[in-house]
Amino acid sequence: MYLYIYDTFLNDKKFNQILTKIESRLNDLDIKGKICRLNLLKNLREIIEDSVEGGVNTIVAVGDDTTFSKIINCVINQEVIIGYIPVNKKSKIAEILGIPINEQACDILAQRIIKKIDIARINNQYFVDSAEINPRLNRGQKIKIKFKNFEITPIKNNIIRFCNLGALADNQGYKCNPSDGYLETIITPISKKWLWQAKKIEKQSVFPFTKVKIMAVNNPIVIKVDEQSIIKTPAEIEIIPQKLKIIVGSQRKFD
Amino acid sequence: MFKSDESKKFLKQDIETIIGPTVKLDGDFIGEGDIIVEGIVNGNIKTKKYLRIGENAQINAEIEANDAFIAGVVNGNMKITGKLEITATAKIKGDIEASLISVESGALINGKLQMKTGEETSHGKVKKGEVEPLTRSGMDIE
Repeated sequence: MYLYIYDTFLNDKKFNQILTKIESRLNDLDIKGKICRLNLLKNLREIIEDSVEGGVNTIVAVGDDTTFSKIINCVINQEVIIGYIPVNKKSKIAEILGIPINEQACDILAQRIIKKIDIARINNQYFVDSAEINPRLNRGQKIKIKFKNFEITPIKNNIIRFCNLGALADNQGYKCNPSDGYLETIITPISKKWLWQAKKIEKQSVFPFTKVKIMAVNNPIVIKVDEQSIIKTPAEIEIIPQKLKIIVGSQRKFD
Repeated sequence: MFKSDESKKFLKQDIETIIGPTVKLDGDFIGEGDIIVEGIVNGNIKTKKYLRIGENAQINAEIEANDAFIAGVVNGNMKITGKLEITATAKIKGDIEASLISVESGALINGKLQMKTGEETSHGKVKKGEVEPLTRSGMDIE
């Protein structure tokens, strides 16, 4: 049984036509289910828990990458399968998962190719794509990242990302594998352009890991999680391998 | 002379770790895959595969790898079970143990050099052709 969770922004009238097409396609494919439209008064976690108790085994996020990330945090301890229908604009996460946008995503749901992917935990929160430390939010802050037997200290200004899917980040072409049992710390230097000279692009650093501790030398550092929530240091990130069952397309970017 | 294409072949395979120019690492780094170092490392580096130390890298560490390519500064002993390539920009202060070694003219090495191969002659010398001839210019081997 399916539960389709529509994000709040889809309540806008401009999405009515797209949603009608999606619902019609779901009907054609015989995978129609319960629809829940989110608003400020509804508690997402309660909706999911009640639905699972009622027999729902597949929860589909209808919206954008933020919708998908929000739902992941709520279903992590449930035995359900996650689906995704990105609406109206290109989704970076959907691209990695091999899912097209709008009603075409319904066909992927119907094919029901299920893969187990890793999930990352940062303190008490979960993320599916990446956690980011941006120097714009942490001006002049010094950071230490502790691994099992060593620690690293970034020099100069870098964007530091802890990636699982790594879809939302610009990782200089580095491809993360969300089912390999590892996360990656990717440290990308911020390129500076001096007057008429071309931008100097320095090589990024890549450290695969299963668990790290992030510490600030002075004031707490702000970490942006899946581009939708904020956590402050000290923080501990670890991987939970093969935790999430997700419906993917055949054009996905991993095995 | 230098098989840089062979080095690039290693890079195209699964690189596990890249220590870039804007990172400093302190401690023991033990990896299972290939490692590229372009930054600063204080400690130990160990891998079962390929290690590449870039021109601007500074290593104060003991190194163990299967194959290695050294183009930067290394202060520490090296133990390479396979092939060791040392470029003209390399500056090494430490003892080296390798099966096969290739040194470009201009490299600076201060330390003992010990070669171990699977086939040694009865006098303990390495077979002809397995070591590239060393040039005296720019080198000081104890």
